[in-house]
Amino acid sequence: MVKYIIKKLLMMIPMLLLISFIVFYGLQLTGIDPINFMVSPEVLSSNKDNIDALRESLGLNDPLIVQYFHWLINCLQGDLGYSFDGSSIVSIISVRLPYTFELAGYSLVFSAILGIGIGIISAIRQNGIIDYVGRVLAVLGQAVPQFLVGIILIQIFAIKLGIFPSGNRVSPEATNPFIDAFLHLFLPVVTLTIGMVAVLMRYARNTMLDVLNCDYIKTARSKGIPEWKVYLKHGFRNAMKPVLVILVFRIPMLVGGSVVIESVFSYPGIGLTMTDAIVSGDYPIVLVTTMIIAGTMLICSFMVDVFNALLDPRVRLSE
Amino acid sequence: MDTREIILDVKNLNTSFISDQKEIKIVKDVSFQLKRGKTLAVVGESGCGKSVTMNSIMRFTGKNAIVKADNIQYNALRGDKIEEYHLEQIDKPNGAKMRALRGADLSMVFQDPMSSLNPVYKVGDQVAEGLLQHNKGMTKAQAREKVLTMFKKLGIPDPEERINCYPHQFSGGMKQRVVIAIAMICNPELIICDEPTTALDVTIQAQIMDLLKELQVKEGKSIILITHNMGLVAEMADEVCVMYMGRVVEFGSLEDIFDRTSHPYTKALLRSVPVLGLANGQKLETIPGSTPNPADLKAGCEFADRCPECTDKCRGKAIPTYEVSKGHLVRCVKYDTYPEVK
Amino acid sequence: MRVNLQEQKSTASSSLLKKNVRKFMRNKLAVIGLFVVVLMTIACIIGAIAGVDYNTPVLTEMKKAPGNGHLFGTDTIGRDLFARVLIGGCYSILIGVFCAVLSSVIGAVLGAVAGFFGGKTDAILVRVSEIFQAFPQLVLVMMLVAIVNKRGLTNLLFIFVVTGWMTTFRMVRNEYMSLKGETYVKVCEAFGMSGNNIMFKQILPNVMSPIIVSTTTNVAFFILQEASLSFIGLGVADSTPTWGNILNAAKSISIVTDQWWIWVFPGLAISLFVLAINFLGDGLRDVLDAKQQ
Repeated sequence: MVKYIIKKLLMMIPMLLLISFIVFYGLQLTGIDPINFMVSPEVLSSNKDNIDALRESLGLNDPLIVQYFHWLINCLQGDLGYSFDGSSIVSIISVRLPYTFELAGYSLVFSAILGIGIGIISAIRQNGIIDYVGRVLAVLGQAVPQFLVGIILIQIFAIKLGIFPSGNRVSPEATNPFIDAFLHLFLPVVTLTIGMVAVLMRYARNTMLDVLNCDYIKTARSKGIPEWKVYLKHGFRNAMKPVLVILVFRIPMLVGGSVVIESVFSYPGIGLTMTDAIVSGDYPIVLVTTMIIAGTMLICSFMVDVFNALLDPRVRLSE
Repeated sequence: MDTREIILDVKNLNTSFISDQKEIKIVKDVSFQLKRGKTLAVVGESGCGKSVTMNSIMRFTGKNAIVKADNIQYNALRGDKIEEYHLEQIDKPNGAKMRALRGADLSMVFQDPMSSLNPVYKVGDQVAEGLLQHNKGMTKAQAREKVLTMFKKLGIPDPEERINCYPHQFSGGMKQRVVIAIAMICNPELIICDEPTTALDVTIQAQIMDLLKELQVKEGKSIILITHNMGLVAEMADEVCVMYMGRVVEFGSLEDIFDRTSHPYTKALLRSVPVLGLANGQKLETIPGSTPNPADLKAGCEFADRCPECTDKCRGKAIPTYEVSKGHLVRCVKYDTYPEVK
Repeated sequence: MRVNLQEQKSTASSSLLKKNVRKFMRNKLAVIGLFVVVLMTIACIIGAIAGVDYNTPVLTEMKKAPGNGHLFGTDTIGRDLFARVLIGGCYSILIGVFCAVLSSVIGAVLGAVAGFFGGKTDAILVRVSEIFQAFPQLVLVMMLVAIVNKRGLTNLLFIFVVTGWMTTFRMVRNEYMSLKGETYVKVCEAFGMSGNNIMFKQILPNVMSPIIVSTTTNVAFFILQEASLSFIGLGVADSTPTWGNILNAAKSISIVTDQWWIWVFPGLAISLFVLAINFLGDGLRDVLDAKQQ
């Protein structure tokens, strides 16, 4: 088991290196010259020699692979470099990354509880009221674009009712940081949760229905144990593995969704940082934000493997 | 016959399923009695309603099933006294009343041991679960002892070690022993075995059947054996119930069925059993045609279209059951000179 | 005898088709879905053929509410919204259908190759798909947008196809892996059929149903994806009116508050179309899923 986990962990390293190289190389292909962002055009045309010296000192004339390792070593030492407007990327990320973790984390927790909960109940009480309402919500949640849900929520709760702010993460005049965080997080978290719940609920329902059709459920009933035990101990315990796996598998969707939602709510997280950087062509930031997201995804898929191993004796004991 | 002798009395059991907003009758007017300490074999082709009959008695049919019966009476022997349970009157299929009987009084061994065990729990815990359910106050250690004894009795090697294994570490035959252990652990009176050996190798089949036979003889259990293997029937059964298209077509003692075979369907069934030493060039007989679709059945005898002895009387009207000798019932108009059974 | 068999085969398949059509028609939501999809597509195409004017700003007609010759009102620079939604539909549906079909084809071919041949080919293809899947698709698309560095319809189509083939690939690969062990494939091999023949003529028909279903739902997925991307300003160029691009106007709070029609109508168009496609996909799944029959 420990060996299995270590093996999976070690496999992540070459994957990360490969991805970082592809991203690095890809962004070089764009042919955008960072010098253009650092120096004004007039200076650029007049001081050709100085510019070449600057190029040399920044290492921009080195072969690509050297530049890559240069960047990689700097990153490992905690120096993520500077954006084109000269601010330290570390300082940008250290403020914004926690905001995105807050947003995605709360959405994940709420959507997991709601999605799995409603899905399981719908499966047990098939064609009941909860099942019906859940199915309608799932269909709508999957059809309406997430950003549109965000806009509608802003329209109702921020503009018409004025309960919540329409965007941003902190307000300067706030006195209590917790209330402030709650107010700013509420609408974006609800928006992201709605989309995730729709997917999870459907999956949890179908998985639970499949499990409840298994022969061992009949065996459990033949022992005379109460129904809640049949559902929880025998049904849910077996449905949990695929559901948890899909939950972790859907985190990319959550991250992708948060990129858009941060835009809708002008929420200063990694997603908005990345969007702005792409629009303005600020590639050092694009590089770092992409790597952060890719790293998160790899950790998630590692977690899928660990869950698999923990919950399934067939995997757990095979190593 | 009194309730001491009869353990299970089923009268006019009807089960139908709702599919596509249509009601399809799967089990029709099935009646039989099981004597205490005896084995009843229920035989018939696949899809003749054997399993559905048993699942209806145990109330394992799904939500789209309608189960109706005049009487499903289970007579439990409690010390010296007989306690009567009317299963047809229990309204909730998985309610407390039904659950109190399941495992403790009535238990079931399922067809496919591969899928009958929950893959995520240790087999010992799965066997102990029913025990702990029906014996309030029993400790886990006591339950473990009981499970160990049961494993030894069922011939599972290294029980101390095997008790902590997961189902996927067992072979098919061993899994079926665990399933039997689950069914036997609370010492039930009646065990329904739904094709317990169909999914197993032939050699393992014999072992499992010997095991069941031994348990029955030693402990006086009553067994209902669902099978389509006539060899097993000859070996195991005291009485035989032949079903076709959801109806009991012939019911009688082992001798009645094998030596005084009456219903054309039973005759055909027995002729199509492969026999060792079949002469060269001699073909194994088959029953011509195939089972009709239960959704569109005509009136009269369901077997008429495939029956070599079919006459005009067979079609159009309901076929009664006749008692050709004591306890030997046949549902065929050939025997309309005998007394009709109501 | 041979003719007879063929006849039997053809009547059997046509009655299966009839049965499936009947089954599909019984699923009311799926029929409604199909109806809405066809209706909206035809409306958009008629709009395009009729050459409705979607691009001429009329400064005197700015921000007009629905009515008065403008069914859906006008946008911030006085263009007729109804015409824009129709033409936008053409582009959005084109993007959805084109990308879904092409990425399914690529995913299916690669999946068939990987699953059938296994070994090194399989290992490499799986690795590649894993690298692609390490990114949320939207982020991958954004990265490619950054690399391609030019916003245009062709670039967007290319990017969507490049980033969209992995799920079909995985599904087809797994199906092939399990079907490869089936007896009928062994029989074909024993008959000496070529790998290509077995791969595409013998196995592929068994995998078609899930591919068709996932292609259908992917149409909806790509339309939503385009809308999100255009909304954050990274989709096709602003001059091309896709549903997402029209909705981009809703980034301004004042429009959200005061000119509801500018975002409500395109939003409704997207939601309705995606909803209909999803119903259609569910209906197809019910009909085609062999396990349920």
